[in-house]
Amino acid sequence: MRIVCPFCGERELGEFTYLGDAKPQRPAADAGEDAVYDYVYLRDNIAGVMSEHWYHGGGCRSWLKITRNTLTHEISAVEPAAGAGAAKVGA
Amino acid sequence: MVEFSWVVRSPLEHALVAGPYGASGEAGVSLTEIRNFDLIQVMARRGKATEVATAAKARLGVAAPETPKAVQTSDAALIWSGPDQFLVLSKGGKHAINQLSQAFASSASLSDQSHARALISISGAKARAVLAKLSSIDLHPDAFPVGAAAATSMDHTSVTLWRGDDGLNGQAVFNVLVFATFAESLWHTMLDSAAEYGVAISHSEEF
Ligand SMILES: [Zn+2]
Repeated sequence: MRIVCPFCGERELGEFTYLGDAKPQRPAADAGEDAVYDYVYLRDNIAGVMSEHWYHGGGCRSWLKITRNTLTHEISAVEPAAGAGAAKVGA
Repeated sequence: MVEFSWVVRSPLEHALVAGPYGASGEAGVSLTEIRNFDLIQVMARRGKATEVATAAKARLGVAAPETPKAVQTSDAALIWSGPDQFLVLSKGGKHAINQLSQAFASSASLSDQSHARALISISGAKARAVLAKLSSIDLHPDAFPVGAAAATSMDHTSVTLWRGDDGLNGQAVFNVLVFATFAESLWHTMLDSAAEYGVAISHSEEF
């Protein structure tokens, strides 16, 4: 499997680390225990297209958001995760 | 109070034995460690990309690379090391941390890497064949011309790799920056990879 890093170009899988589902959003401070439990522990086991976080630790050290089909490994989109390349974001 | 005495020495001081290595005959590969350099990491702060570009231009005379490239000036190399960040490689103290920090004071965070990395230069007719065993990057001249750079891994070790100006004999020169504590390990791997072609090992203060 190869991943096209938006900063580095096409690289082998060995340069990347898989984090997991990119969907969960940190709940608000007053959201309650169930919401936090869900955010920290509960994950869908998706067979199909999934949004994932990957880390290009063996390369540019950027976090990436990757859309991957877990059945075929086909990658349909790669984009920088929030914060990567932030110097170009408005101050 | 304990008195420390810091002796500046190369991380490859023990591993590097100058002279021929591996197959006899004309060396197919030259492995040269470059010693005594200034290396500063410049990381643009949030929203400060334009300011960093302006500061780089004013202080170093060239725009900082925004894609995986290395830009050579008369007295420094600016090497892309990731989004919004680059390394300034030079010698003689002109672009050391104290000299650069003023220029980037309002736009970037600087970190002195001068003694944190080892710099290895690989050249010779078989240089690409040696690196092909260690790197998954396509180093064919069509894909990796002079000035190309990559933040990548060799032998599971993070490196900054770039192709410098060709040598006097017209052959490609590849440069590898590796973390000091991994340098000895990568050096031995490089020697293993290069042995069959015959290696000329040296160290130098020039680059
Ligand atoms: Zn990358």
